[in-house]
Amino acid sequence: MQLLDPSHEESATEFAPAARLAALEGATVGVISNGKEGTRGFFAAFERELRQRYGVAQVVLRTKSNYSAPADAALMDEAKRWHALVAGVGD
Amino acid sequence: MQLASRRYDVADVMAAQEFYHSRGWTDGLPVVPPTAEAVEACLEWAMLAPDRPVGVEPVRARAITAEKLAVNAVMAGCLPMHFPVVVAAFAAMLREPFLLHGATASTGGCAVLLIVNGPIAAETGMNPTFNALASSDRASTVIGRALRLCLINLLDVRPGDIDRSSLGHPGKISYCLAEDEAGSEWLPLADERGMPAGASCVTVMAAGAPRQLMNEWTAVPEEILDTYAAEMRANMRHYSIWPGNYVIVVPPQLRAHFNAAGWSKADIRACIFEKARIKRAEWAECGKGAVVRDRGDREYAALTAPEDLLVVAAGGPAGGFGAVIPPWLGGKSRAVTVAVGACVDCEIP
Amino acid sequence: MHDAVAGERLGIPSAGIMTEAFASAAELMARALGADGYPFAAIEHPISSADGPALAVQAKRAAADCARLLTGAGG
Repeated sequence: MQLLDPSHEESATEFAPAARLAALEGATVGVISNGKEGTRGFFAAFERELRQRYGVAQVVLRTKSNYSAPADAALMDEAKRWHALVAGVGD
Repeated sequence: MQLASRRYDVADVMAAQEFYHSRGWTDGLPVVPPTAEAVEACLEWAMLAPDRPVGVEPVRARAITAEKLAVNAVMAGCLPMHFPVVVAAFAAMLREPFLLHGATASTGGCAVLLIVNGPIAAETGMNPTFNALASSDRASTVIGRALRLCLINLLDVRPGDIDRSSLGHPGKISYCLAEDEAGSEWLPLADERGMPAGASCVTVMAAGAPRQLMNEWTAVPEEILDTYAAEMRANMRHYSIWPGNYVIVVPPQLRAHFNAAGWSKADIRACIFEKARIKRAEWAECGKGAVVRDRGDREYAALTAPEDLLVVAAGGPAGGFGAVIPPWLGGKSRAVTVAVGACVDCEIP
Repeated sequence: MHDAVAGERLGIPSAGIMTEAFASAAELMARALGADGYPFAAIEHPISSADGPALAVQAKRAAADCARLLTGAGG
C-alpha cells in the first residue's frame, strides 16, 4: 500500500518569478478580483489608470465566485492568454 | 486532485504501524494507514483544495494545509464527515487568542478541549449523554485524537521536545464532546458566544483535566452552584489562582433543577462569577503559606467576567454528577469559537 | 497572494494587491507558499467604505506599483 507523510514537509518547489514584461504598453492585463466589498469601484479606477496612464491595450476583469478560494483551474487556464496578471484585493 | 505529501510504500497494515510509530508520527495507538484515496475523500467532503492553508502557526510562520490535516485525521480514524470539524477546530486553535504555541509547549500540560454545537454533532453521531467526557462515541474520539496527531506531526509537539509538559493528562489522547442541545432548554454554548443561532460550531480551549463533583442533596440552584464554585476555588487554591475561561458541565439531573427554577445559563454565570473567589490567605491551608505574605486579604476571582464561564449541557441521564474544567493557566490562552465550514469563506487572519 | 504566486508559477508576470492592514499576513502567506519575499502592491485599508475620490487615489497608487512590479522598472 502507498501511504502519505503526515508531517510538515518543507516546501520543496523552488519559486522563481516569471520573466517581467518589457512594457505595459499594448499589453493585455487580466485582473482577478476576489469580489469583496469595494473592489468593483477600485478595479474600475484601476483599469482606467492602466489604460490611460500606462497604455495597456486591454484589461480583462474576472471576479471569483468564492473569494477565499484560489482561482480555479479554468480561470488560470484563461490567464495563460494574458500578458500579465493582477490579483486583489487581499484584506 | 494533486496531493503534495511524500509517499511511502508499506507492505501491509501491521507494517504501517511500525513504519509510522518509529518515525514519531503517532500517539502510540495504532493508526489508520493514510492512503491518497482516504485523504482525498476527506478533502472532497470538506470542499477544500489540498494546498488550501487553513491557518498559519505564527511562531514558526508555518502554513497548515488542508491536506496535512486530512492525512492526520485519517490516521486518527476520522471519516470524511468528521473532517470539517477537525478543520474548524484546528483553524480555531491557530487564532491568536488561543496562543497555540504557549498552550502546547507549557510545563502545565493542558490538552485541547473541543466542544461541538449545532447539527453536525448529531450528523456525525456524537453522543452528548453517556460518557460525555470520555470516548462517548466514535466521532468524538477520533476528532479529538486527530487534533493531537496534527499537533504532533505538524508542529512537533512531542513529549520532551516542543511539549515540555511535566504530567499532562489523558485528555491529550482525545478531549472532545458535543453539547446536549436536544436535551437542554438552554441556548447552545456557541449561540451564547455570539455565533449565528443553530450554526454548527466548535469551541476550543486549552484545558486541564475535568474535576468531577456530585450533588444530589438539593434542588436549589444556588446550592448546586456552591458545589461547582467550591471545585473552582479548589482549583484556584491547589493549582492556579489566575482567572481565565472555566467550563462547567451540567448533566440532565441537575439541569432539571435549574429549569424548574427558571435559571438560564446567564443566571448561572452571574452566580458563579460571584461565588468563585478565594482569599490569598487560603493558600496557607494547602501548603502554600510561604507566598501569602502580607497579602492574605487579597481576593482573587476565578472569572474576570461572567462571560468567561462556559456552561455546557452534557452527561448521562442519571446522577447529580457535574464537572469543572479549568484553564491551562489563567487567561493566557482564551477559548475560541468558530463556525464549521466558515474557514472556507473567511480570510486567514 | 495565492493567485499572484500561482500566476508566476505558470510563467505569467503577476502582481498581488493587498491592503496595508493585511501586509504582514501577506508576507507570511508568501513564505508559506514557498515564495519568501515575493513583493506586492499595498493600498490603504479599508476600501470597502472608500468613496470615489479615495478609490481613485488608491487605484493610481496600485497601478504605479503594479507597473513597476510587472515590468521590473523603476525603484
